[in-house]
Amino acid sequence: MLINQLSVFIENKKGHLSKITKVLKDAQVDIRAISVFDSAEFGILRIVVDKPELGADALKKAGHVVKQSYVLAIDPSDKVGSLHDVFALLSDNDVNIEYVYSFVMPSNQGAPLIILKADDQEKAIALLTASDFSLIPKEAVYNVQNG
Amino acid sequence: MKIWSDKEKMSREETRKLQFKRLKKTLHHVYENVPYYHEKFKAAGVKPVDIRTLEDLRLLPLTTKEDLRKNYPFNLFAVPKNKIVRYHASSGTTGKPTVVGYTKNDMKVWREVIARIVTMGGVTNEDTAQITFGFGLFTGAFGLQQGLEKVGAGVIPMSAGNTQKQIMIMQDFQSTVLIGTPSYALHLAEAAQEMGIDPKEELFLKYGLFGGEGSTEEMRAKLNEAWGIVATENYGMSELIGPGVSGECLAFRGMHINEDHFIAEIIDPNTLEVLPEGSVGELVITPITKEGLPLIRYRTKDITRLDTTPCDCGRTSVRMAKITGRTDDMLIIGGVNVFPSQIEGVLLGIKGIGSNYQIRVLKKGYLDRIEIDVEVVNQDLLVSVTLLDQLYKEIESKLHTILGIHAGIHLVEPKSLVRSEGKAKRVIDLRSENQ
Repeated sequence: MLINQLSVFIENKKGHLSKITKVLKDAQVDIRAISVFDSAEFGILRIVVDKPELGADALKKAGHVVKQSYVLAIDPSDKVGSLHDVFALLSDNDVNIEYVYSFVMPSNQGAPLIILKADDQEKAIALLTASDFSLIPKEAVYNVQNG
Repeated sequence: MKIWSDKEKMSREETRKLQFKRLKKTLHHVYENVPYYHEKFKAAGVKPVDIRTLEDLRLLPLTTKEDLRKNYPFNLFAVPKNKIVRYHASSGTTGKPTVVGYTKNDMKVWREVIARIVTMGGVTNEDTAQITFGFGLFTGAFGLQQGLEKVGAGVIPMSAGNTQKQIMIMQDFQSTVLIGTPSYALHLAEAAQEMGIDPKEELFLKYGLFGGEGSTEEMRAKLNEAWGIVATENYGMSELIGPGVSGECLAFRGMHINEDHFIAEIIDPNTLEVLPEGSVGELVITPITKEGLPLIRYRTKDITRLDTTPCDCGRTSVRMAKITGRTDDMLIIGGVNVFPSQIEGVLLGIKGIGSNYQIRVLKKGYLDRIEIDVEVVNQDLLVSVTLLDQLYKEIESKLHTILGIHAGIHLVEPKSLVRSEGKAKRVIDLRSENQ
């Protein structure tokens, strides 16, 4: 259920993101989801890719600081209040959300999905599964069928 | 123009005689009271009695900041601690500062040499002087304050910073003399204009006495123009006494050294040999009236030359030219001395960053600014922006504690810093380029 996410240190300067995407492009690694968390001086780029090990190696070789960690991918279903239900469920059960960002997969008719990092991932998985929220398996995220 | 002391008008021969007498006394003082010097002299095979002429001074070993570091804090003091009435400190080359101590008589000497220097710069008892050096461990502010009061001038101890208030007080108290670093003075003039105050028409400044950092003739011209003042420069360092070693008179032919208190030599920084008069080299100073911390042949690491030809002002003392550089890697940032080794010491003690770093010094307006690129190496910092932010703040606050100034920190990727063959280029000084 856990998805391998790459976190990359980014300097807050022109061209830095494209340096990173160039490395991934050259390594034939496809980006599924992307988000930037930043302060005035620096940031962390978080990405989910189809080939996480290959992507991490290529980035490290190119001199970037990369950390691999695990996140959840959830399909909250595209209707009013569904995201709230996810957050409320976790919050009511004392699971803290560290960060969240959204992405889409073509196979899902373009409905938004979310990447979520909880402080207690196992508990989050148990809660979400028990409440019939759809957790997307890593294979589905890595191996998207285009079209 | 007034000359404060007759000592400034002695013949060369009288000066040399007095210098020799005082040097001998100082040598006996350190030989008997500072074990470190006793050993140092012994190792060099020389005793105070071997010094028979002023020229024999060159037989004695040199003293460096490293000697002060090794004897931190008080081991070079030549008097018991209860004779010390004042402490000051300046940047050391590493974490610990360089400590200096003054006896009652040292304080008297300090007031005297400053009185001479402010008189050289045009100040009289009619003046009101605004001091914009920071009052604290650094010698600049306290040194000037005492000497100005001795001359009878009124002192406004504004200390550093607080620019708008500086201008308000300057206008309301009708300050006639500005004391500080030349770069801060230029910044102040700009600030006054931004406040809608014309420094020449609506303020009362006549003289500016600047020090703490070197300046050029171009800077003097700018200062004179911006404020409508007569700007002079003075020189000193805490190890020697603080400000008061030398100062410019209104003939602008170099800085007159207070030779009855300091003997100046110029050495080749590589061979350490004394160079003939007029040569450019490193300034070495021996204070000859100090009781608390009498250093012998102290290497200032400042590059200048000496001139004993008569000056138009009537003083006979030797003059030193403006400092044109350093023989070590010390940086002067807004009047504060900073050694790259201090920065390195701080960075190496912080987890999560690499051993490679780069220091850039630049001008923001007229003010110096130091920026440091630090390589982030620890991937575990990427758990959250908060962790990176904590690292950033830790670096910033530790550097501030050691350097006494704020440095701009940039976290960069490992290996993004340029490494030149074998040795990384650690310091890039861009100040002259963007002036």
